[in-house]
Amino acid sequence: MSVRKADRIAGAALLAGSVAFSAGALKYYTYSGPGGPGPAFVPFWLGVIMALLATMLLVGAWRSKDPGAQWLPQGDGLRRLGVVLGVTVAFVVLLKFVGMILGTALFLVVLMRLLDRTAWPLALSVAAATAGLNYLVFTYWLKVPFPVSVFGI
Amino acid sequence: MDFLANLSMGFSVALTPFNLLMATAGVIVGILIGALPGIGPPSGVALLLPLTFGMEPTSGIIMLAALYAGTMYGGTITSVLINTPGESASVVTCLDGYQMALQGRAGPALGIAAIGSFIAGTFGVVLLMLVSPLLAKWSLSFGPRETFAIMLLGLTTVTLLAGESALKGYISMMLGLMLAMVGFDIISGDARYALGIPEMMDGMDFLPAAIGLFGLGEVLTGAEMVAGTAILKANYGLRDVMPSAKDWARSRWAIARGTVLGFLVGLLPGAGPTVASFLSYTVEKKVSRHPQEFGKGAIEGVAGPESANNSAATGAMVPMLTLGIPGSATTAIMLGGLMMWGLRPGPLLFEKNPEFVWGLIASQYIANVMLLVLSTAFIPLFVRALRVPYTILMPLIIVFCITGAYSLKNSVWDVGQMLVFGVLGYAMKKLDYSPAALVLALVLGPLAERALRQSLIISDAGMGIFFLRPISAVLMVAALLAIAVPVARALAARRQ
Repeated sequence: MSVRKADRIAGAALLAGSVAFSAGALKYYTYSGPGGPGPAFVPFWLGVIMALLATMLLVGAWRSKDPGAQWLPQGDGLRRLGVVLGVTVAFVVLLKFVGMILGTALFLVVLMRLLDRTAWPLALSVAAATAGLNYLVFTYWLKVPFPVSVFGI
Repeated sequence: MDFLANLSMGFSVALTPFNLLMATAGVIVGILIGALPGIGPPSGVALLLPLTFGMEPTSGIIMLAALYAGTMYGGTITSVLINTPGESASVVTCLDGYQMALQGRAGPALGIAAIGSFIAGTFGVVLLMLVSPLLAKWSLSFGPRETFAIMLLGLTTVTLLAGESALKGYISMMLGLMLAMVGFDIISGDARYALGIPEMMDGMDFLPAAIGLFGLGEVLTGAEMVAGTAILKANYGLRDVMPSAKDWARSRWAIARGTVLGFLVGLLPGAGPTVASFLSYTVEKKVSRHPQEFGKGAIEGVAGPESANNSAATGAMVPMLTLGIPGSATTAIMLGGLMMWGLRPGPLLFEKNPEFVWGLIASQYIANVMLLVLSTAFIPLFVRALRVPYTILMPLIIVFCITGAYSLKNSVWDVGQMLVFGVLGYAMKKLDYSPAALVLALVLGPLAERALRQSLIISDAGMGIFFLRPISAVLMVAALLAIAVPVARALAARRQ
C-alpha cells in the first residue's frame, strides 16, 4: 500500500472519528454550566480541530500526484513482520492459560525458531534464562502476581 | 548555605549502597540500550519504569536518570563502529565518527565522546543545580493561565520539531489529547468515552501506551530488516581511547560550546538532545578553521555534538522538575513515572520532596563519573553486546514490553492496550507521524484541560485571560508562533 493511499484512509477515518468524538461530547456530556466549561467543552473543540487537520490530510493526499513509497514491507520482510506480530498476539491472547513464566519461555523458543531457525540449544537456553530472570525480578522481588498455567508456573 | 546543605543531603541520599547500585545499573543498561539498534532512550525508560515500582521513588528516578545519560553515550558506539546510530541524538556522530573509525581512529573518537559527555554532563548538573531552584521559586507564582500557556507551548514545540510533516505531527498531538479525554473527568466526575468498559473509566494509562509506541513499535519496525551489521575492528584499550594532545586541543572548545549550547537547548520544551547535537555540529562547522575536514573525520564533529546531547539530556530535566513540563518523549515518560510514584512534579516538588530532588542531582554527578569509567575502560564489553543477533534481541524486548505493561496494574487489559499502541506506533513511524507528540499529549492532556477550564472559570469564559498577564501572554504568543511557522513554511513552499 502506498503512503498516499494510507494517508487517504487515515484522513477519512480520522475525520469520521473526530466528528463522532465532537458529536458524542455534545450528546452525552455538558458543554457549559453555571460553574464554567463542562466536561464536553474540551473534547468538543479537540474533535473540531482534529476534523480540520484530517480534512487537510485528506485533501492533500487526494490532490497529490506522487503515490509515495510502499510503506508496508513485501516478501521476506512482510513474513517476518507477520510472524513477530502473530506470535506476540497469540502470546497475549493465551497469557491467562499458559501463564507468564511458562508463556515467556514458549514465546521465545517459538519466535526464535520461526524467525531465524536459531539452534535448539541456544533458543532453549535463552528462553530458560529469560523466564528464570522474569520470575526472580517480577514474581520473587517485585511480588507481581503473574497469571499462572495449569502447571502452577 | 541552604544550597550546600541541600547538596550535602542529596549526596547522603545518592551514596547509599542501593542508590549507588541503581545508578551503576542505570548507566550500564543505558549504554547497552543506546548501543543496541531498535531500542532508544524513550523505550528504555518506559521498559524499566515498571521495575521501579518496588523501590523508593528516589531510587527509581536515580536509575532512570542514569539510564538516560547512559543512552546518550551508548548511541555513539554504534555511530562510530557501524555507521548506524543507536538512537537519534547520535545520528550526527556518524558523519565524522565513522570516518575516524575508517581511518583507524575509532579509539580517539569514542574516547573524546566519553570525555566530552563527562564534562558536559557534569557541567549540565551544575547548571541544573543552580537554575532549577530559582526557576521553581519563580514558577510558584504561576496560576492556571500560565500553566496552560506553558503546556500549550510544550505541546506545540514538540510537535513542530517532531518529524518531516508538521501536519502529521499535529494530528499525532491531537490524537494524544483526544485519548487523554477518556476516563473520569477531573472536575465533574463523568466517565467520558469509556464505552461502558470498567478498565477504560480510569483513563488511558500512559505507560502501556509508551511501551507500545516506543518499545513494541520499534521492534516491529526492526522486524522487517534481515541484514546483520558489520562492526569495524579496532583497539579499545585505555591507551587507544585516550585522545592525543592535538586531538584535545582541537576538541576542548567544541566541548565547551556543545556543553553550553546543549544545556540551553535542553531547557526548551520540545527541543532536547537530538536538536542540540545537530545545532552543535552546525556551529562547529561554522566556527572551524578547517570546515572542509567535516564529514571526513574531524574530531570536533564528534566532540561538540556528543557533549551537546549529554548536556541537553540534563537540561531537559529542568522544565520537567520545576514546571512539570517534559521537553521530550523520554522526560515525558519520566514525568509519568513521577506521577505514578505519587509525586507532583512542579515548583512544589523542591519544597515538599527535597530529598528526592537533591538526591537526583547528587546522583547525576556520580552517574557521570561512572559513565566516564565505564565508557573508557569497558568499551570491548559493550562492543560484544552489539554482536547479539537481532533475532534473539527482538523477542527479548517484546517479553520486557509484555511484562512491563502487565506489572503496572497486574492486568491483561494493559498488555492488550500496549499491543494496540505497538501496532499504532509501527504505522506512525512508517507513515511519518510522531509517537513522541502523542505520548506527550497523553501525559499533559488532563493537566492542560484542568488548567484551561480553571482559567475560563476565572475569566467567565473569556479567552482574553491568557493575554492579560505578561508571562502567559509571552508563552501564548510563542505557542502561536510554533503553530504559525510550519503553516508559513508550507505556504511559501507552495508559492515556489
